[in-house]
Amino acid sequence: MFARLVWKLVRGSRGRLGVALVAVISGAAVISALLNLQFDIERKLTQEFRLLGANLVISRSSAAQTGVANQAASDALASPTLMDQSAVLGQVERLRTPDVVAAAPYLYVVARVGGAPVVVAGTWLDQTPKLDPTWKLEGNWIASRVDETQCLIGRNVARQFQIAPGGQLELSYLGRSAQLRVAGIIDAGGAEDNQVFANLPAVQTLAGTQGEIELVQLSVSGTSARIGAYTSRLATSLPGYDVRPIRQVTQAEGSLLDRTRLLIASMVVLILLLTALSVLATMAALALERRKDVGLMKAIGGPISRIVALFLAEVGVLGATGGLIGCILGVALARWMGQRVFGTSIAPRWDIFPLTIALMVGVALAGALPLRLLGRVKPAVILRGE
Amino acid sequence: MAAVVQIENLRKEFDNVRALDGVTFSVESGEWIAIMGPSGSGKTTLINILGGLDTPTSGQAVVDGTDVARLDEAGLTRFRSEKIGFVFQQFHLVPYLTALENVMLAQYFHSTTDEGEARAALDRVGLADRIDHLPGQLSGGEQQRVAVARALINHPKLILADEPTGNLDEANEEIVLRLFRELHAEGHTILMVTHAPSIGQLADRRIDLAHGRLAQVKVRA
Repeated sequence: MFARLVWKLVRGSRGRLGVALVAVISGAAVISALLNLQFDIERKLTQEFRLLGANLVISRSSAAQTGVANQAASDALASPTLMDQSAVLGQVERLRTPDVVAAAPYLYVVARVGGAPVVVAGTWLDQTPKLDPTWKLEGNWIASRVDETQCLIGRNVARQFQIAPGGQLELSYLGRSAQLRVAGIIDAGGAEDNQVFANLPAVQTLAGTQGEIELVQLSVSGTSARIGAYTSRLATSLPGYDVRPIRQVTQAEGSLLDRTRLLIASMVVLILLLTALSVLATMAALALERRKDVGLMKAIGGPISRIVALFLAEVGVLGATGGLIGCILGVALARWMGQRVFGTSIAPRWDIFPLTIALMVGVALAGALPLRLLGRVKPAVILRGE
Repeated sequence: MAAVVQIENLRKEFDNVRALDGVTFSVESGEWIAIMGPSGSGKTTLINILGGLDTPTSGQAVVDGTDVARLDEAGLTRFRSEKIGFVFQQFHLVPYLTALENVMLAQYFHSTTDEGEARAALDRVGLADRIDHLPGQLSGGEQQRVAVARALINHPKLILADEPTGNLDEANEEIVLRLFRELHAEGHTILMVTHAPSIGQLADRRIDLAHGRLAQVKVRA
């Protein structure tokens, strides 16, 4: 009978409850979307940060103190301190975790093209799209790290030597030379536009430094703490080498994450308050409407505890229904926000459903405070029609 | 016969207005009492005190051995549920519950619901084919019959009816009065407030109130 009465109460006041339901659904949808974002934000933001390129550099000396890769490259060119390729990359590979998005060694030489100097970077070109995902390319990436016949060139180099994709580039260095086909032209928007990128073996052969590299760049995902822990492990296993995070990136990541979390938490609290106020307004009006019913129920022997339980259950149904519908809409909203903000969809987290529904039931019950007034209803007064 | 109702020097004051002023009478089990008098004479106040909807300022109002004046809020609620069956002039049915559910509501507040018994109660007042109708879909007479079924469902010691035919046309009035005659014949104790002398004549005794006092008591010839 309890459920039957609650159902009839809901149906009997569906117009007014509908208004409160819309408020609860709206609140639940936004909260669910925000919580989905909150829980997924770390992954999404670290993915975003990986677009900024390498965030960890291994070098022989303190030359790697500088944050950005190109600064490190310049320093290496000024005072090259070579590292043993197999020793360093062996440790990197041994300690590799799923957080490591990409890793590539670098060796720089200043070669000549037709008498003009040009910086040539030897690396693993199959890692370049992952290590530098923001680079634009005209032509094709080079999928193999052992292909010694092709190279990528910066757009300024292409302009200087008037070379298009498919063209040939002849590099010379200390009496040695290499003939490379240009697979693509990169537009990095930085110093890389002035460089030539070839696979490491080709540059090592050109430079006469087989088995040696100048630095290793890594792109590692995760929080500042996780990246810090990985850095420490790597540094411990590579004594004599500098393993340094690029601080601007990691600190910005931590700070942005904290601020985003605070913003989302504040918005959730604000929405809960607004939803409660909306429910409160509806329930205040409903409490007035229900005075006559409550007076009658009391007159025929209804204990106030049982009567209030009916109304609270009605409000609970309102909160649960609104919460459930809102959660479903929230998933769609989170996906939309994920696409708009991060360019990828947010994966729905089902554990947010019970959390949001519980929040909405709590908010609806808090908003039902005016129903407390029903306890004061005097049946004799109501039955007199006052 | 044992007295179901014993009223002793009952007084009720609202602010400085004396609604009941030393009323004393008793009602035997199975009696039908008509309480009459002009507006403001204290009829409804008397019914409300006997039904536990209001408390007296002083005096005793004992119903089936329970002094209403001594009960707290929870005790009054239990008293209304267990001992009293109300029939109001305005019917007072819950508008979004069907006839059956209105009757079952009284069961629910009393103890547990028994749909079969509720259906039988509605059948008894001639509404077997209207049990799933909402009050708004019923005529005034039908609504009052639902109210009678609701009043009877918990087997009360006392039926209190406040102008039960005041809002009904002649045909429906006759139907409802026939029901009360049947209830009386079955031994129910009834206290009915009415303005109509013709209805008052149906009762075993007629108690007239004036200015909160017992004006006269007439026994049916």
